[in-house]
Amino acid sequence: MKKLFILFSVIASFSLIGFSSAKACEYKNDVPLTSLTSGFDAWKVVTSAMEECGNYTPTLDQEYKDKIVAALDSNPSQYSLAGVSASTNVAVLDAGLTRPLDDLIAKHGGALQDNQKVTINGQVMAIAMMTNAQHLFYREDIFNDLGIDVPTTYDEVIKAAKVIQNAGVVDYPLGGTFKVGWNLGEEFVNMYLGYADTFFDGNMVAVNNGNGYETLKMLKKLTEYMDPEYLNSDSTYVQQQFQQGKIAMANLWASRAGAMDNAEESSVVGLVKFASAPSAKKGGKPASTLWWDGIVISKNISDEEAEAAFKLAMVGLDPANLGASPEAAPWISNAFDPAPSNIGAVMTAKGGAAPYPASAQMSTLHGVLGNVLPDYLTGAATAKATLEKIEADYITAATEKGLL
Amino acid sequence: MESKLFNLSLSLKVIVGISIILWSFIALFPLLWVFIMSIKLPIDSFAANPLNVIIGPNTLKQVGGLSFINLIFLCFSIYIYYKFFKSREHYFLKINNLTNNKLISFLLLVLIFIALFLVLFLFFNTHIANFLNNIFKYIPFLKILSKPLIGFTTQHFIAVWSENEFYIQFLNTAMVTLGVVTISLTVGTLAGYALSRSSSLIAFWLLVAALVFRALPHSVLVTGYLELFIDYGLYGKKIAVIILLVAINQPFTIWMLRSFFMNIPQDLDEAAQIDGCNPFQAFWLVIMPLMWPGVITTGLFSFLLAYNDYLVCALLLDGQSQTMVPAIMQYFNMETTMTDLVESIAAAASITLPLFILVMFFQKQIVSGLTQGSVKG
Amino acid sequence: MNKKTFLIFTMPSFMMMVFFIAIPLCLVFFQSFHFKQDILEIVEREKCDPFGCKTETLKVPVLDEKGNRTKINIWVGWENYKNILKFEELNSIIKNNGYSWSAIQSIDFYQALRFTITFTFITLPFVLIFGLCLALCVNNLLNRLKGPVIFITLLPFIITPVIGSLSIKWLFIGDGIVTSLLEYILEKDIAVFAKAWSIELLVLFYRIWHTTPFAFVIFYAALQTVDKDRIEAAFVDGANRFQRLRYIVIPHIMPLIVFVTLIHLMDAYRVYDEIVGFGAEGFLNSLQWMTYDFLRLDDSGSRYIGRASATSMLTMIGIVIILIPVLRRVFREQKEKKN
Repeated sequence: MKKLFILFSVIASFSLIGFSSAKACEYKNDVPLTSLTSGFDAWKVVTSAMEECGNYTPTLDQEYKDKIVAALDSNPSQYSLAGVSASTNVAVLDAGLTRPLDDLIAKHGGALQDNQKVTINGQVMAIAMMTNAQHLFYREDIFNDLGIDVPTTYDEVIKAAKVIQNAGVVDYPLGGTFKVGWNLGEEFVNMYLGYADTFFDGNMVAVNNGNGYETLKMLKKLTEYMDPEYLNSDSTYVQQQFQQGKIAMANLWASRAGAMDNAEESSVVGLVKFASAPSAKKGGKPASTLWWDGIVISKNISDEEAEAAFKLAMVGLDPANLGASPEAAPWISNAFDPAPSNIGAVMTAKGGAAPYPASAQMSTLHGVLGNVLPDYLTGAATAKATLEKIEADYITAATEKGLL
Repeated sequence: MESKLFNLSLSLKVIVGISIILWSFIALFPLLWVFIMSIKLPIDSFAANPLNVIIGPNTLKQVGGLSFINLIFLCFSIYIYYKFFKSREHYFLKINNLTNNKLISFLLLVLIFIALFLVLFLFFNTHIANFLNNIFKYIPFLKILSKPLIGFTTQHFIAVWSENEFYIQFLNTAMVTLGVVTISLTVGTLAGYALSRSSSLIAFWLLVAALVFRALPHSVLVTGYLELFIDYGLYGKKIAVIILLVAINQPFTIWMLRSFFMNIPQDLDEAAQIDGCNPFQAFWLVIMPLMWPGVITTGLFSFLLAYNDYLVCALLLDGQSQTMVPAIMQYFNMETTMTDLVESIAAAASITLPLFILVMFFQKQIVSGLTQGSVKG
Repeated sequence: MNKKTFLIFTMPSFMMMVFFIAIPLCLVFFQSFHFKQDILEIVEREKCDPFGCKTETLKVPVLDEKGNRTKINIWVGWENYKNILKFEELNSIIKNNGYSWSAIQSIDFYQALRFTITFTFITLPFVLIFGLCLALCVNNLLNRLKGPVIFITLLPFIITPVIGSLSIKWLFIGDGIVTSLLEYILEKDIAVFAKAWSIELLVLFYRIWHTTPFAFVIFYAALQTVDKDRIEAAFVDGANRFQRLRYIVIPHIMPLIVFVTLIHLMDAYRVYDEIVGFGAEGFLNSLQWMTYDFLRLDDSGSRYIGRASATSMLTMIGIVIILIPVLRRVFREQKEKKN
């Protein structure tokens, strides 16, 4: 009841003083700063350390891609700094919305490693803080009980799923980030790269072929072992399915690995283990893509705001801060040992998975994939029709944008 | 006094009764459920068994809840508040007798309401109830009255409003809504008055155009202006959204105000003009004072349009200037844990609460507005 | 009122409507025949990230001195409309599958059209019937109860559509309590949000839930104005309750039934908030949602203004069709007034 009183006092005074006390931060930030980033745990780790410095309001939004270009494009920019992934970096870069960081690094960025600096034509345009990849999560206890080996190809995944389904020990053998839109597109991208190497032939999209067909078939086979509401299932949903013991296997983001052992929410602490993403063909490379996430500073802000933002970002990216939560993501840092939960990402990279081929064309194709695939998975369209539609929709979108 | 012929047979009475109860349940249940979910811990909010959601066993264990005494106090407070609310006009007249100024009386009344609310629910229900709880805990037979019965936690609301700073979005919504209502009414009353007093061909065409405009989907209008607004640096500025919403709302506003103005006889205009007023003075000094009920009603609907808008605000506002309704969809995109999801439910409950209060206070006006609006040419 | 005063009074409102409704309409019409593109150039870029360095040749927007992208409008004639209506694809589908509606719906526009039309016309009779029944029931209630019942009834109408849809969604999604109840009763697994048709049913239910109060209020007010003498006369003549309803009450409130129908058609045609609230974008498509989708930024940071404008104009056609009978009647009345 006391809390009610506090609540109303807060509202009544409309105190605009942030909920911060500069206890863990070494300096007090006086420039009002804002940021737009995605919402998964790694960003919470970074932004909460930055909040300690005061005068800073982070916005964490899983759908930040939908707004980032417009937000940074406005004058002045809606946010001082933004979190980007390998592909959103291309979007803000092409639109000329981020500023080079070389001089700021010279002033404040001494602690940065060279492999954290993302350079374009020699200029540092972003600071990478973590890598990420989708890889295999599995319930070791269920595998041991049923005598299943850790699958290395998707055919083995399906075999294992059949065994688990017959045993009936969990609600569904498989989980998948098959949510309509970007997630579903990413599943196609990952699986396709298990069969082929490129999506484009020159300027033209080239997925309407045997590789595309195999990709579609494999994705559909996987859905047979999933929760029927898979078209709603994003990474948070799959994470919660694992935590509530509803699924036994999933190809999930490395940044979610730490949540498996979060005692407050997970009922499977210590039971989930990680391995490289399975490959599509025997002996082929893992059917997954490597990503990096990092920070960019807006161009449409004053120089002093940019400097304050960079200084603040360095606090967030401080190895001491990241090292306190090693399981939150595969951080790029030599200052501390990676957490055991990062093994999946490491093995996927070692297996030869390719980095996500970010470009404007790829983003357009990715968007088309996310919209066209649901009909195929629900059985409303054939594989042939789906592949043709992907091609046609890509051509329409790219022509309207001038990419073709 | 209805004559006997309107009495219902028993079977019809039963049907009427059941229909009303069924409808009341369907109408109220989803909203009530959102509120119930928002005051429990996540494990209870999403429990599959509805009884677990209502009672909230985990919440009781971990955080505490409302005891029988709390519930009695709550019901009593609601009853007192309701009684006071029902006789609000009576109190308004009493205050008016002292101050003789309608505006000040209204503000004083609102102040008293807020004060009463704070006293009842913050002091009475919290300190006095807890005091009694603590006393009763030690009395052998009455111990059961102080035992927590229903899980209750305000942590989600606190998290939403203070940690996540939802009050920023609340202020944004308040500003947008205030802007839309004031500009809408100012421009609309002038037009509505003129349209009600003229039967020329131009007036007719204006009304027809307004009818057609009212039918347009908002996305069509935003499509036209989106790039223009962005190029001229109006992205993320509330003023752009206010002007757009006012314009979108104009057709509806002038139709409604026109029908209210038609109820005021034209003789008053003529009398005023004979007394030497120019048309504007006649409008402002003579007609408008009679129009306050109509203005309030139309203002209400403008308020609803601005408050409930998603499309225009989602496309044109962002960051610190975002309003509450698009922000709530963003809440879903922020969630990576069950706690986040319950916080978004608490945010939804917070958005709904002002509307709830609005219907309570202005029920008569809303009804009259809807029926007046249907009296068209 | 003389002309000059009339014009002065209506000018602000009229100007706003011209500027923010009429002109955007023209702009949309204009934009629907153009592509709006960034001016692009081909560059070579060396990119180094945590995974290594790569040199690639890309098409990127040209940035001016201030570092902003520049856009041009390219005239493309009917290209946008053709991309939306997809005539060749439509023809090949009809040739292969006949007039199979489910096959035609694979084209987004027809899926959106179908949903919008069925949504608009299926919800209409329910709204009218429920509204009327509710009005009749409340009319026969004790006076004391009328106030609270009207209060409860108004709530679904006032609540923000996005929030209302969310509140119903939470009851059904995953292990929501209504779904759990249904699973318990029917003893099988139900996933409401896995199929398009179950989501569509929920969306229809939501709109009926939301609009019935509006119909109710209007009909209830109208019921107060029914001529009691005529009812008594009919009763004396031996008409039962249902006949009284059919031959006296309904004709009396017919103009209001038409009014409610008109408003509902206009509003339901614009269905959009429900798709947002229910998160149904993967399953359902409506005309206004399709326009909004084109206006949203995609992954590469661009909007498809050309196709959004074309969809808007096609949406307008439906509105014009809905409005024609109304406008015809209004013109006829005006002509009669003049004569």
